[in-house]
Amino acid sequence: MQHASEHLTTNDRRDFLRRGVSYVAGAAAVGGASIATASGVSSNLPPNEPQWGRQLGTGVVENPYGLPSRHESQVVRRTVPWLTAESISSISMSPIQDLKGIITPNGLVFERYHAGVPDINPDEHRLMIHGLVDNPLIFTMEDLMRFPSVSEIKFIECPANGGMEWRGPQMEALQFTHGMLSCCEWTGVPLKVLLDAAGIQTEGKWILAEGADGAHMSRSIPIEKILDDTLVVYAQNGEMLRPEQGYPLRLLNPGWEGNTSIKWLRRIEVGDKPWHHREETSKYTDLMEDGRARRFTFVQECNSVITSPCPENPIRRKGFLEVEGLAWTGRGKIKGVDISFDGGVSWRPAQLKGLVLDKALTRFSLTTQWQGEPWLIQSRAYDDSGYVQPTLAQLREQRGVNSIYHKNSIHTWQIAPTGEVKNVQIT
Amino acid sequence: MFKSPKSLLMLAVVVLGAAGVAYAQDYQIGTPATALEIAGWDIDIRPDGKGLPVGSGNAIDGEEAYEMVCASCHGVFGEGEGRWPVLVGGEGTLADERPVKTVGSYWPYASTLFDYIRRAMPFTAPMSLSDQQVYDITAYVLYMNDIIEEDFELSQQNLAQIVMPNEDGFFVDDRPDVQNPRCMSDCADPDKLMMKGSLAGVTPIGHFVEGADAPAASHSGQHDLEASKEAERKAAITGEEPAVAEASEPAAMSAAAIAGESTYKAACGVCHTNGLAGAPKVGDAPAWVERLQQGNDLLISHALQGFAGSTGYMPAKGGRADLSNEAVTNAVLFMVESQH
Repeated sequence: MQHASEHLTTNDRRDFLRRGVSYVAGAAAVGGASIATASGVSSNLPPNEPQWGRQLGTGVVENPYGLPSRHESQVVRRTVPWLTAESISSISMSPIQDLKGIITPNGLVFERYHAGVPDINPDEHRLMIHGLVDNPLIFTMEDLMRFPSVSEIKFIECPANGGMEWRGPQMEALQFTHGMLSCCEWTGVPLKVLLDAAGIQTEGKWILAEGADGAHMSRSIPIEKILDDTLVVYAQNGEMLRPEQGYPLRLLNPGWEGNTSIKWLRRIEVGDKPWHHREETSKYTDLMEDGRARRFTFVQECNSVITSPCPENPIRRKGFLEVEGLAWTGRGKIKGVDISFDGGVSWRPAQLKGLVLDKALTRFSLTTQWQGEPWLIQSRAYDDSGYVQPTLAQLREQRGVNSIYHKNSIHTWQIAPTGEVKNVQIT
Repeated sequence: MFKSPKSLLMLAVVVLGAAGVAYAQDYQIGTPATALEIAGWDIDIRPDGKGLPVGSGNAIDGEEAYEMVCASCHGVFGEGEGRWPVLVGGEGTLADERPVKTVGSYWPYASTLFDYIRRAMPFTAPMSLSDQQVYDITAYVLYMNDIIEEDFELSQQNLAQIVMPNEDGFFVDDRPDVQNPRCMSDCADPDKLMMKGSLAGVTPIGHFVEGADAPAASHSGQHDLEASKEAERKAAITGEEPAVAEASEPAAMSAAAIAGESTYKAACGVCHTNGLAGAPKVGDAPAWVERLQQGNDLLISHALQGFAGSTGYMPAKGGRADLSNEAVTNAVLFMVESQH
């Protein structure tokens, strides 16, 4: 609190910049904005030596576990409360409008709980493997960490991401249209190594994975996925899992709907058939227009969205502009992304930048000029399986508007001549 | 099951050798799971009845249990309170514009109901029901959906034979179901594009739009909004003015009340934040006036032992038998002192 007055001008300016609508609507004098709010010349701006250059800062271990700058306090998870009955069985979204690169910081990974976050003592946490195995086993956390570890960068996405907009656009922010999405480096053991230790029997075709939380969340997973790339993970982005992400142990089914990556994992049962539990019948099934429903819709199909500009990041200046976004696919790697500025009439290839990894968020970019044109801007990703991200009209034609999950259609932002960005749908 | 790690090792070698699995390596990590340990955690039920415990139950006995532990969220008739799940009805609506997906109209297997109640219900006290209660409540929910008769004795032997109305309503994922060619130019007629704008005011965007209407910045805010709309609706019908709760200055709390906050949040808040089942909401001063006059001792006794009042039903310890008397007492004090 003692620094509050010194930083008032900085905060004022940040607030002003964040509120893009009033900013672009209000002034042509972009450069003069901060000076105007500073009511004169800030003593922290050239030619003056700023305050922080004339004093000492805080020392080591002032924050033994560091925190972001207090000027970044707006970069937080958020929820839309009317989505769920209360906050214990609910969901929050990652602020993907504010994130850089492809890794989601641990404190910003989206949350989905069915009975809240349990407080688990790792010394008393166990993973049991039983069913159609020769040797039912129990592992302690120490046991699991003795196995050779692997680290993989993979996205996790809730299949309901975007699901509020089947009938029409209603989320006025990127965080709410696409924020049930995160990407981390996960460390753990391939589940097939553990099943091998238990000796899986030839009749074993499915597993049931179950959590230790109050929901005892359970999902049936076919053995082919386990043999392919399912991990049992205990760490994310270099540190042990956050409680929100399943501490001390979770399943990770790369590229599959997030709900199958059971958190607080305590039990794996091998069986010859799926279990048809609540989260794979009543929920996480996709109702079609004819009243029938798809089940075991595991894969998160190829998807993308432009993260800048977006409603939270309006275009602030005319001239040079980098259009940036994220693409991802549960079927493999992103092969390319195209951008349209005219609502899908014509398209230009964007560049993929940085790491392009299997089942990971992938950044794309296209540099251009903006002189106040009223754009309808879209991104369309395609993956190495040959699948091209569809239009909303194509999805609706196949599925109707009641399937809730797996809406991966091309997304449209409307750019006003002021630079303001609105969520719209083009059909 | 295995007396020594050596016998485990021997068996592992034999099995892996027979299977010829390429990635196999004998790490000798982990401990054999005993039959007793497995039995304690192996709670899952399958459509073929595998996993069902010995026992039976019926809707007649289930009605009482349902009203005690389920109705506060799911409604006395399975109609759902607030946005809690609707359990009954909706038959024939799955192809409608607004389908109603319930146990009766949507769920393909009765086993799922037993499994889910046992593993996750009631919401505030999972794994607290006996197998007998789970059979009874499962039978009652099936009965409310006209799937079994009221006096049908649902059992380990016959549950798997029950045919749910929508059993054949599912098919396995057949995606990709759309094929979008990667067109680069003249992909649509610009004159025929239809644009639909966002519904304004349904998402909280005050964090980046100055003065933006954020109708629901929190779950309790959302409930307050809905409650005020409900009050306005009732006032419009009866001609009475809706009561307006007056905010009062917060006062210092006792140490016990402060200690009770965590229990309140983990257990009591599910009902007492939202006013479910007639529960007095924390901060709803008019609802607390008469209660506070009764004195803390009586309120604590009702919370510990359960109480059926004129507005609703309070299960003993809110259904959380695992909570200590002290924790419940502190939570009551937290709620009481939050009114001051």
